[in-house]
Amino acid sequence: MTKVRIPTPLRPKTGGKSEVEVQASSIAEMIDSLESAYPGIKERLCDESGEIRRFLNIYLNEEDIRFLEGKETPLKDSDEVSIIPAIAGGK
Amino acid sequence: MLTIPTSIAEEMIAHARKLDPHECCGILGGKDHTVSQHYPITNILANLSEDELGRFDGPKLSDLKQLSPEERADIAFQMDSQEMGKALRDIRDKSISLQAFYHSHTFSPARPSQTDITIAMEFESYREKLNLPEPLHLIISLLDKSSPDIRAYRIVNHESLEIRTILT
Repeated sequence: MTKVRIPTPLRPKTGGKSEVEVQASSIAEMIDSLESAYPGIKERLCDESGEIRRFLNIYLNEEDIRFLEGKETPLKDSDEVSIIPAIAGGK
Repeated sequence: MLTIPTSIAEEMIAHARKLDPHECCGILGGKDHTVSQHYPITNILANLSEDELGRFDGPKLSDLKQLSPEERADIAFQMDSQEMGKALRDIRDKSISLQAFYHSHTFSPARPSQTDITIAMEFESYREKLNLPEPLHLIISLLDKSSPDIRAYRIVNHESLEIRTILT
């Protein structure tokens, strides 16, 4: 199982859980597994064309998946995935 | 203390002025509390739909929803995650480290807002997992358009503490 860290804004979709575990062999599969377990989460993660939304980064361990193989990045059982919103703020 | 080359301070002010009345944002890299690299990042807030504003909560979200997408960028920013990822990667490739995130306040003082503090604390909860050092949060105020004010803060335990900045 791969451990996935859920950011604060998405926790209402996971019943408040900050970490969940999914069975997946790639990031794309991980997103589909999350959607099966927590319906509605996929549209918060991906835009209409299926790409990761432009305010989210997904890290496999400490590496941004955009610098690996994107959504095709393979996952191993011991991997940890973090979904992290880019910095925001305002006056 | 954070030391910033005058040339980079001028670049940040130029970035803030160029986007005014929208807020600008960016990342500073360097070593030993001294900035050496500046990465302006696109504020994508005006491109987000109302459904995508979920990370802003409470009063800020109500304020944002009353504004047009274009106007939302006057009171808030959202970094483009792809550009942020590239900047953090470049910082690592150059063997320097993350020093600060910055943004502008176009008509309010250079002090962190409640939204800034909440989101900085949220980032803090992810930061160690990404093996990043604690960043300072730098604000450029254009309240006095002729004399921009740059101030840096540590945001810890939901409080902000001003850190002296030195321009060299």
